[in-house]
Amino acid sequence: MAAVGVQHLAQCITCHAWNSDMSMVALCPNNNEVHIYKASMDSNSVWERVYVLEKHEQLVSGIDWAPKSNKIVTCSHDRNSYVWSLEGDQWQATLVILRLNRAATSVEWSPQENKFVVGSGAKTVCVCYYEEDNNWWVSKLIRKKHHSTITSVAWHPNNVLLATTSTDSKCRIFSAFIKGVDARKDATTAFGDVKFGEELIQLDLACGWSFGVHWSPSGNSLAYVGHDSTIHFVTDVGPNPRARSISLRHLPLRDVLFLSETRLVAGGFDCNPMLFGSDKSRIWEFISFLDEVKRPAETKTDTVFAAAKGKFKWLGSEPFEENAPTTTHENCITMIRSLAPLSERNPEKSIERFSTSGLDGRVVIWDLTNVDDVLARLRI
Amino acid sequence: MCLQNFPCQEVERHNKPEVEFKTCKELLLNPILICRNESEKCLIESSINSLRISIKVKQADELENILAKKFLRFLSMRAESFQVLRRKPVQGYDISFLITNFHCEEMFKHRLIDFVVAFMEGIDKEISELKLSVNTRGRLVATEFLRQFT
Repeated sequence: MAAVGVQHLAQCITCHAWNSDMSMVALCPNNNEVHIYKASMDSNSVWERVYVLEKHEQLVSGIDWAPKSNKIVTCSHDRNSYVWSLEGDQWQATLVILRLNRAATSVEWSPQENKFVVGSGAKTVCVCYYEEDNNWWVSKLIRKKHHSTITSVAWHPNNVLLATTSTDSKCRIFSAFIKGVDARKDATTAFGDVKFGEELIQLDLACGWSFGVHWSPSGNSLAYVGHDSTIHFVTDVGPNPRARSISLRHLPLRDVLFLSETRLVAGGFDCNPMLFGSDKSRIWEFISFLDEVKRPAETKTDTVFAAAKGKFKWLGSEPFEENAPTTTHENCITMIRSLAPLSERNPEKSIERFSTSGLDGRVVIWDLTNVDDVLARLRI
Repeated sequence: MCLQNFPCQEVERHNKPEVEFKTCKELLLNPILICRNESEKCLIESSINSLRISIKVKQADELENILAKKFLRFLSMRAESFQVLRRKPVQGYDISFLITNFHCEEMFKHRLIDFVVAFMEGIDKEISELKLSVNTRGRLVATEFLRQFT
């Protein structure tokens, strides 16, 4: 039903990001480079590599592509971050002074693209904005609030609130209001008037390291996953939030994506995206796996004796094939991105196409236009 | 075996297997000890980017003790070619494996698990075979030697 295109582009992909009209994708093939491919949604096409951005010295851990301004921000384990802009035929890099003394782990542009946030292993979060007078990107740090490495960051649609998850198993919401960059009226949130770096909520729902935080399109809900195979949904984020945690019987998840206010897709070590939904009662439930698991073909053995003899040859052959991967991704899914072009983005409309990238080096495009039929079939 | 790349929190620009250094308590998971009986056990310690499996094999008598030690030392010395083997076993155990996120990225997870399980199954068999062959050889040599006196 769901996987429409698979591209095997590297041995391992750390992260990927799409541009505004989904014609190009930037990804990191598990080294210090960023490769930009010209993509096409045709399932039989081979994507062509058009640019290679080489400036970082260690693994590039986060990439984000701003749709309106066409700028790419990358962050790496070498404590640096660069903002790349396309000038003519070349991508030019601008170093961002992050003032970090440990690796950067994740990066995201704010909805209005005047700021971006970088999470790091230095237990600090950097919010960077562009200073016109000096013509460079300046950072403001949020220190002392986290007890361990920050794994993932996400902006609220109002451009001011920020959610972070960390390996101390907590999810925190901060205000990233910067005087001079954000207008005063944006600062009125459900929490009232708040200044920069103030921790508004600390969610302690997971018992393991937390990853993959994402806000819903309206900003009313939030979801993140924990390494204890749980997924947590928080609605009415404000002074009185409501939370729902689901414990899964599967391997932990790594990343989530809200498709609409009531649908969410998550992927992780199971190599199979999972669909969650909330119905009229506003309670989130697991709906189904999205990948059709192919059963491995029955191995033909003429006699019982031949089968037994086959089992003894463990040194040369492969007796454990029933554990072989049967999903489209063969290794952990690390990132899920929506495939809605800028012109079609609408908070009311649900996202129907998304892409996943994983440690097997594949970028897979999923299409959920027929999801309602499938759901109708699932219900008795 | 859910491991991921994790840059070191203590030293900049480094990437170390956290289970070996154990500097940050929050990055380690609870170790599991599985004992088949008093003389055989298996310790599994895990962290965010690495996993350490230590095995103590059954050693019933002196001969098995020596055979096991020599055989496992032979394997550990060649740990480079095994990639997931550790050069020195953890204190109190006979052999240790160290699996990091880099191994999981290069190799299939289910094949790594198969390798460790097959290794454990093979070890006992190999040591009994070695013991049998030592005993057989000793008997043959003794028979030949004492023949000259009869």
